[in-house]
Formats: sequence, C-alpha cells, structure tokens
Amino acid sequence: MRTRLIVAFIVVALLTAVATAWVLNLIVPFYPSLSGLLVNPVPLQHLFYSRKPGHMYHPAPPAALAFCLTVVGVLLAVIAGLAFAASRRVLRPVRRLAEAAQRMSGGDLSVRIEPSGRDELAQLVTTFNGMAAALEGKVGELQRMEARARQFAGDVSHELRTPLTAMTAVADILPGQPGLTGDAAAAAQLVSQEIRHLNRLVDDLIEISRFDAGTAQLVTDNTDVAAAVAACLRARGWSDVATDIPAGLTMPLDRRRFDVILADLIGNALCHGRPPVTVQASIQPADDGERLVLLVRDHGPGIPADALPHVFERFYKADTARSRSEDSGLGLAIAWENTRLHGGHIEAANDPGGGALFTLVLPLTPAATAALPDGEPVTVTRL
Amino acid sequence: MTEVLLVEDDPAARQGLELALRRLGYGVRPAGTGEAALHAIGEGAADVVVLDVMLPGLDGFEVCRRLRRGSDVPVIMLTARGDDFDIVGGLEAGADDYVVKPVEPRVLDARIRAVLRRTARAGSPAETYGELVIDRAALIVRRDGREVSLTPIELRLLLVLSGSPRQVFSREQLLDLVWEHDYLGDSRLVDACVQRLRAKIETDTSEPRYIQTVRGFGYRFGPV
Repeated sequence: MRTRLIVAFIVVALLTAVATAWVLNLIVPFYPSLSGLLVNPVPLQHLFYSRKPGHMYHPAPPAALAFCLTVVGVLLAVIAGLAFAASRRVLRPVRRLAEAAQRMSGGDLSVRIEPSGRDELAQLVTTFNGMAAALEGKVGELQRMEARARQFAGDVSHELRTPLTAMTAVADILPGQPGLTGDAAAAAQLVSQEIRHLNRLVDDLIEISRFDAGTAQLVTDNTDVAAAVAACLRARGWSDVATDIPAGLTMPLDRRRFDVILADLIGNALCHGRPPVTVQASIQPADDGERLVLLVRDHGPGIPADALPHVFERFYKADTARSRSEDSGLGLAIAWENTRLHGGHIEAANDPGGGALFTLVLPLTPAATAALPDGEPVTVTRL
Repeated sequence: MTEVLLVEDDPAARQGLELALRRLGYGVRPAGTGEAALHAIGEGAADVVVLDVMLPGLDGFEVCRRLRRGSDVPVIMLTARGDDFDIVGGLEAGADDYVVKPVEPRVLDARIRAVLRRTARAGSPAETYGELVIDRAALIVRRDGREVSLTPIELRLLLVLSGSPRQVFSREQLLDLVWEHDYLGDSRLVDACVQRLRAKIETDTSEPRYIQTVRGFGYRFGPV
C-alpha cells in the first residue's frame, strides 16, 4: 500500500517537472525575463516556425499558443488518468471489503474475500476473513444448540405420549369403581383429572414444537367466519357469548387452526374476565388489501399494565398466585403462532370501557400469507 | 362379539388399550409386531384392526398395505398427534380412519363403531350407471359384472354419493354422513377414501366418471 502511494507520488512529480520544462521552453522566447528559469535554454520554437537570426523574438503567433495549450492539456490528462488508475487500484480492495461487510450484515456469514498482494489492505482482508469465519462458526454453533434444544423439547413430548396412552386408556376405570370411598375415591378422581391435564399439556407442547421446527402447515378452506365462531362456541358449550359478525363473510382459513385461535381467545376471556364476553368482527381496509378484524372483549378487571407485553409468552401467568386453570399456559402462545401462520397478528389491550380486549387481525387474501421461519410462504389450499 | 386386532408394540399402551376395549365390550386380540398382526389377519380373527404406526420391523403403513391386498377389514390407525406424515401415510396405505394417541376410550369406541357400521339394506332394485351396478338391497357393487370389494366406509361413501346423483357434497358433509365425525374432522379422510374408491371403480382415475371433484366445493356422483 505504502509502496504504491510512493511510486504514484514519484511518477506524478517527474511528469510535472517534465511538463514545466516543456512549457517554459515554449514561452521563454516571448518573455526574455523568464530565461533565467531555463535549465537548458534552447528556444524550442525554432523547431516549428523560425530559424532565422533577427526573427528570434517574433511575437508568438496564435498557432504557437494553441500548440502550447494542447501539450499542457494532454499532459494534464495523462497525469489525471494515471492518478485515477492508481486510485482505482488502491480502492478496489476497499470496495470489495465494503460489499462483503454489507453481505455479512445482511446475514450471509459465508462471505470471504480473495486476498491479493502483501500490503496493509491485504492484511485487512485476511483479518476480515478470519472474523467472518469465527462469526460463522459461533452462529452455527448457537443455531445447532438451539435446534438441539427444540428437538429435545419435541422428543420429550413425544416420549411422554407412550405412557400417557396407557394411562389415558384406563384413567376412567378408577373413579367409577363402586368399592372406592373417602381418600381412595378422591385420589382416583385426582389421578384421572390430572392425566387429562397432562394430556392437554403434552398436546400443546407438541404443537409448539412443531411451530418451532417450522413444520406447521396451513391447510386453508374457504370458511364462513360467523359459522366458524358459532361452531366453536357450540362445540364447547359456551352459550353466554354474544356475537356480532356480518353474515356471508367468507375467507380462506385453516379451519382447525382458526378454531384453536377462537377457542383460546374466548376461553381466556371467559376464564379470566367477567361476562358479558362479546365477539365482534368486521372487514377493514389496509395498505395491502382488506383484512378481518375480530375483537374479543370481556368486562372483567382487564390485564395489569406490566403483564400486557407478556400475555403471549409461553407459560406466562399474569397472576402468580392464581390457582391453576384448565389451560396449559401455552394457549395464547399457540393462538399467536397460529395467527402468524395465517399472516396476521393479535394485540392484547385494555378496553377504555373496562375489561380486556384482544384484537385478531387476519389478511383476507392468501397472498398476504406469512412466511415460515425458513422463508418459504406456505399456503395449501384444498381443491 | 366384535373382535378387535390391537397392534401396538409398547406393552403398557397395549395392556391399557386392551383393558379399555374389553370394558367397552369388545373381544381383543393383542399383537406386538406387524408380522404377528398379519398372521392373525390370515386366520381371519378380526372384525376391525387398530394399528399403531410405529412398529419394530414391519411398520404400520406396510402392515396396512399388505393386509389390504387380500382383506377389506376396517383399519383404524393409531397416530402421533398432528403428525401429518403419519396421517397421510396411513390413509394412503388404506386406513379407513385414524385416532391420535393418547386416545380416550370413548373416542376409540365411536370410531370403531363408525368404521364397522354396515349401511341399512334398502328394498330398491339395483341401479346401473355405465359399467357400474349398485345393489342397495344386497349391498353389493359390481363393475363389468364383477363384484368390487369395498370396506364398509368405502361402500357407505359410494352409497351416500350415488344416493343423490349430481348433488355436490362438501367434505364436512361427507365426514358427518360417512365417518360420523361431529366437529372439525380431517377432510383428508374424504380425499384419501375418494382416491381408494376411484382406484376400485373408475377405469381412468385421472379422469373419473363416477366420483367427480367439484373444485372449491367437494364431490358429486356423475353425471354418467
């Protein structure tokens, strides 16, 4: 690097000296007072238009001046060209470094630069390559660790299922046993009830691990929203929920996943809020087409302000002293993932009128479907 | 008594399910491997097969495929929760329905009843559609004069569809009418069963004459 700069400087200095000598040679004949500056005072203009004695100091004709300017111009152009070429040579590795750094910040940690020469820039390139390799290794290791942890959670859930299959099959035999009384009857009841709870927990864990692994798939059917909400309420025996949903509102939805979202939001409102619980839906315009906005509102005390940002976190419980409910603690997290899979989002807030308000927003068109973690948008539409 | 062939490799799960099924009034023949299951099928010992997917040696898919070569005994797959690979693989291998582990006994009972249920015989004369003859009195389907061998679910699906020719049935309707799934059934059951039925009665499954797909709505029988 330094050598290159020195060489470039010497070349430019030499060229400047030569050019100055030339120009002086050409103009001295017309300005005798400058002759002292000449190293070797040879009147070069003789070469071009006059060799006669007595014609030595003839006033410079326009042709001579034009020639002068042309030579100076050409020389300046040559110098500028050389300087530009030198700067390009110096700047090329810098530009490549900048491009590589940009690719890295875009997430491509596999980027490396071919080092050339042995100057400071080459050293910088080598250091950059080393840094990229170290970063890539570290990030890769973290990703592998995370994948192992996720895989482990999924495997544990799957392994729990085998003993649960045996327990679930016989869970109902014990409580109905006529000989059981007192403590034994209570114990049998508790075991049976907790087997059901464990089942729910394992189901939800497996569902979550499928989201984490990016294997959750959307299977959409054209769905009537009002009918889906009514079916969700009917299937769970929730009769005291008021609905206000336009009739004939249909959109592509994964029926099962949409039902899970509804059941989680409405179940949450019934469990933690107070009646009346209402479900309201409407179509609203957005930048990228229309969207479904579905509001689930209760009239309870609402959600504490410090809990609001965490309600969709796994196993988060707003009230730590609260007795354990039927919920696995994963309900809202699963609702959130299912919504994201549909390309939408859920917001939790407190209604100014009191009570908690959950807002579910889903794009009407499947084109706006979310990308899965691997970046591939997955929408499977039946028929 | 209805005999259930229970194929499950885990001894505890097998014992638990056997207990539950016996209490529900079924006769149970337990099998721990796919080979033992195929042997039992060969003896004609089962009215219905409850088949775990994960088996050592021959897996559930392979057992189902092999037993389907010579038998129309109804098969219910025991699958992992939400494991689409298991479900799709089982349905393609010829299973009539599936349940998710861990399964509650009353759910398994309802599914077993549904896949076993024979459609009531009707007094109407045999109907002829092209090369297909559907005899609702004898509950026999003939194609080119030869009897087509169908599982109870496949027969019921064909009878429901052909009972109202040209009427479009949605998958949800068919799940309710044929499989008796009350709520949010898996519509892949319908698609898989339609595929199997087409393979048995259609000349060209890529251009079906009898069971036609109505895009975006469902299926209909004919027009032939």
